[in-house]
Amino acid sequence: MNWIPQLLEIAPAANTADNYLPIAIQLIFAAGFVAFMIAFSAWAGPKRKTSDKLENFTSGIASHGDARQPMAIKYFLVAILFVLFDVEVIFFYPYAINFKELGWEGFFAVLMFVAFFLIGFIYIIKKGALNWED
Amino acid sequence: MNAIIFSALSGVAMMFTGIFTTNKSAIRNVAVIALLGLIIVNLLHSYGIFVVRVNTHSMLQFETFGLFFNTLVFAATLLFVLLSGKDVTNAGTYGAEYFALIFFVLCGVSILTCYNSLLMLFIGIEILSIPLYILTGADKRNLKSNEASLKYFLMGSFSTGILLMGITLVYGITGTFSIEAMRPAVSVGAPNYGILEPVGLLFIFIALLFKVSAAPFHFWTPDVYDGAPTVFTSFMATIVKAAGFVSFIRLFDARAIEMGISWKIILPVIIIATLLIGNITAVFQQSVKRMMAYSSIAQAGFMLFAVYVNNDMSKEGILLYTAAYSIATIGIFAILTRMKDITFDGFNGLAKKHPVLAATNAVFLLSLAGIPLTAGFFAKYYMLAAVVKENGAGALWLVIVAVLFAAVSVYYYFRVIQAMYFKEGEPEITEVSGGFKTALVMLAVLIVLIGTFPSALLNWFYF
Repeated sequence: MNWIPQLLEIAPAANTADNYLPIAIQLIFAAGFVAFMIAFSAWAGPKRKTSDKLENFTSGIASHGDARQPMAIKYFLVAILFVLFDVEVIFFYPYAINFKELGWEGFFAVLMFVAFFLIGFIYIIKKGALNWED
Repeated sequence: MNAIIFSALSGVAMMFTGIFTTNKSAIRNVAVIALLGLIIVNLLHSYGIFVVRVNTHSMLQFETFGLFFNTLVFAATLLFVLLSGKDVTNAGTYGAEYFALIFFVLCGVSILTCYNSLLMLFIGIEILSIPLYILTGADKRNLKSNEASLKYFLMGSFSTGILLMGITLVYGITGTFSIEAMRPAVSVGAPNYGILEPVGLLFIFIALLFKVSAAPFHFWTPDVYDGAPTVFTSFMATIVKAAGFVSFIRLFDARAIEMGISWKIILPVIIIATLLIGNITAVFQQSVKRMMAYSSIAQAGFMLFAVYVNNDMSKEGILLYTAAYSIATIGIFAILTRMKDITFDGFNGLAKKHPVLAATNAVFLLSLAGIPLTAGFFAKYYMLAAVVKENGAGALWLVIVAVLFAAVSVYYYFRVIQAMYFKEGEPEITEVSGGFKTALVMLAVLIVLIGTFPSALLNWFYF
């Protein structure tokens, strides 16, 4: 059992496949633990099936109708456009942190970035993607 | 750099053209002018007359080969737009946007021809692929087009995941994204990175093999090519595929040595599998469009020879192959869009009714089959000659296998010619204009010219 203290040591600087052994062991342990818990609860837990228990339900309200109803595409469109511009705005945070170091060159790069996304914004407005009423 | 910036700006310009006008011929004219401008700025870069200087931190590296390939691809796109521009605007409801997407694809192509960093490879592949997913589904009301688009998107993003995994492994073990940083290290005494680098490279190769539809990663090709609107199939099968090969060659050029002996075994297996599956399956097809999809897999097998050997001749070969294959395929697909019935029987008796269409189609098919005096012959010749030049008699068996499969391909290409000339029938065809016929004749003449004087194209490369 003298290999266990070795695993606990900090990995040496050289990158070799051997160094990944602890990660592999942890992976196996994680997968094994999940599999064991699922199997154990299925085996050890009580099983009393009634018709009420086997029914689908949400928040305790009895379900009725079909979930697959047509929904206005506008919701989807607005949501996807929101995600798009939201992600673009996120790029300002790293720029804000490196504002001084990047200097004028960085400023012009960000200006170009803003210009491109403004073009996209003008495009979707002109195309009428944000018109709620037809 | 010129091409990358100008193609992206042209794409934006096309987007706004769609807002200000719905006149289809005006949209086409703007696209043609933008393409001409793109070719000019790229030539200006090639000859060093005017270059936009941007500090890319050596993530991009511009070489003659990549720049010349850009010119070739842009010229092929120009021919494509001149010949089937009308079909592009008629493929769906957003004529101008389709051209915008085509320009974005060209932007991806111009990144892929000059990348020097694995990150740029990834960005290039994505810029290339995402517009294609949309173009595949351009025919919104058609169920097959939708299916093709979804299939292509899911499979494509999965292969991109594999690519990223490979890049991660390579970066993790070597500590650099630059493909150039590896090159001097080899001669100085390459550090041994162990098993992870070949594994990472293998992942990247799998993703690239997927993009160029080589077996055993070709399963998406027939369905996607069949389902997409025929104009965009033509664009995908020619320009995009060739760009995939150039990115492949750039990577192999720099990194192949790292893989050691193993890729000399892997690649012939993939080449032969691609040739086998592409050619044999194409024989059994009933629809010409689907036959062309399988034939494009088979042609990819030949283009893979440029990856297998890497010398001057194979570089000339891939340029010739790109030109020959693109021109012929664009022509065939342009004729195919005009046919009402795209099975082999639909071509019965075409020669009597439309002699010009039948004759040009025959020239294109002969070129794809690799018959002498057409461009396709020299394209195949350069590929195989490059293999013999590099490996001598040791690789002769590979050449013989390739020639045998080329002979198989003659069967299904000639079935179309046979249907056109030697069978009776009443082919149904939509109206063709005089300009369309003139453009087809020009393409056929171009094929014969390249097939007679291949050096004319290649000499241009060395200037």
